[in-house]
Amino acid sequence: MRKILVVEDEDLLREAYLDVLSTEPYQIDTAADGKQALNKCRETKYDLILLDLMMPVVNGVEFLEYYIQEGLSPKRVLILSNLSSGKELNKAMELGAYKNLLKANISPKQLLSTVRYELEAA
Amino acid sequence: MFKSCGGKEVYFFLNIQAKDAVKLNPQHNQALAELANYRLLVESIQDYAIFILDKGGHVRTWNKGAEKNKGYLANEIIGKHFSIFYLEDDVISRKPERELELAQKLGRVEDEGWRVRKDGSQFWASVVITALYNTSGTLVGYGKITRDLTERKSHEDELRKANYLLREQQKDLEELNLSKDEFISLASHQLRTPATVIKQYIGMLLEGFKGRVSGEQTEILQKAYDSNERQILIVNDLLRVAQVDAGKVIIHKVPMDIKSLLTDMVEGQRSAFGKRGQTVITKFDEPISDINLDPVHFRMALENILDNAIKYTPNHGKIMLSVSAAPKSSRVKISIEDTGVGLKQKDIPKLFTKFARISNSLSSKVGGSGLGLYWADKIIKLHGGTIEVDSKLNKGTNFNIWVPVS
Repeated sequence: MRKILVVEDEDLLREAYLDVLSTEPYQIDTAADGKQALNKCRETKYDLILLDLMMPVVNGVEFLEYYIQEGLSPKRVLILSNLSSGKELNKAMELGAYKNLLKANISPKQLLSTVRYELEAA
Repeated sequence: MFKSCGGKEVYFFLNIQAKDAVKLNPQHNQALAELANYRLLVESIQDYAIFILDKGGHVRTWNKGAEKNKGYLANEIIGKHFSIFYLEDDVISRKPERELELAQKLGRVEDEGWRVRKDGSQFWASVVITALYNTSGTLVGYGKITRDLTERKSHEDELRKANYLLREQQKDLEELNLSKDEFISLASHQLRTPATVIKQYIGMLLEGFKGRVSGEQTEILQKAYDSNERQILIVNDLLRVAQVDAGKVIIHKVPMDIKSLLTDMVEGQRSAFGKRGQTVITKFDEPISDINLDPVHFRMALENILDNAIKYTPNHGKIMLSVSAAPKSSRVKISIEDTGVGLKQKDIPKLFTKFARISNSLSSKVGGSGLGLYWADKIIKLHGGTIEVDSKLNKGTNFNIWVPVS
């Protein structure tokens, strides 16, 4: 079973993503900040991580830095944030996150088809 | 005759009254008369204090200007050391002596600074001290010319102060502008989150994630969804404009095949003009070599212009897209020509201003942030290009976008 981690601090969005992605037979875990996400990553090897950037405690960029330090590959990390540009996004892409999508531009159906596509490509 | 190298003679003759001339040898008469005139000239000048110091810096002559300027009468000052004209601190630091030393070394010394009058009041003086030598080259004293420039100085100070205040105001305004840009940027990011949540939840219903929705329900949900989409577009435009206004947009130019960029763009907008039954005709006849462009920003700028053309062209109308370049021309012209409502001549300059909404028969039905063309214009300018607009009311508008090839 494909394993997905959704990292999103906004409760309503996290729930919505979980709801939408649950229509497929995936194992979906969620985390409300970068710290929770790191703990999940230590337990489970995910096929895809949807990562928000602006989060409390440990933000997306910091998460990526720790994640790489622990020898994990950023290749499966897809940035799903509401930053269309700026330092944070640039840093995340420099660290090796392989794709960047703007949350506000993605409908549930588009999210689902993106995830399906990425998992098939993996 | 009144020059430093003949110092001793000048000093001597300045003490001769014009009437004395006749008593002396007639062959000197003319020279003496001339000297008397010089004396008259120097004595009468009121705007400049002109006087002579001996080698030790004691005042030896005094004119009307000096009297007026410094407040001393000749009999009060002759014989006194000239440091009396200086501020106490300058006297302590030996400024008067240093000026004389410098004048002796260099021939002359110029200075501007505060000096003191007899009554203790201060004035801003412009001073020239010239070393005076006799014919055998021995230093005999110094000529000192002083002008009161207090008025000019106070004007200058006022100007400087005004200038400083202006610069401070400018800095404040720049900071305010920066915090305004930051505010817009932050506020827009914050606004995106609730709009994103709305999009997900209404989207789930509309896209059938929660079972079948009736036609009437779909209609209502679609209205809410579309309205939210508009809000997201406005927020996106606001953010983009805040970035370009803050100078944060960096153009990364790469050689681009303009025709394929335009073809891709038209494909991307197909659903928008298809929905309206409009046709977009592309006309790329001439071979055109690659142009250096920022593919992301440039395409978005053109999209904004095409989007505008789609909005203001009636259903089933036509939009023409063409590219042309004169042989060996350093510029390429991209034309986006619609068959829309057109513009009045007086409205054309308003097109590229922020929040420009020009009233016409369609404007009440067409949504938008009023920022799209403003942003596009800025981006084209960042490419070193320009946009020309040609429009006829009720016939259509033609946007000619000129961009340099390199």
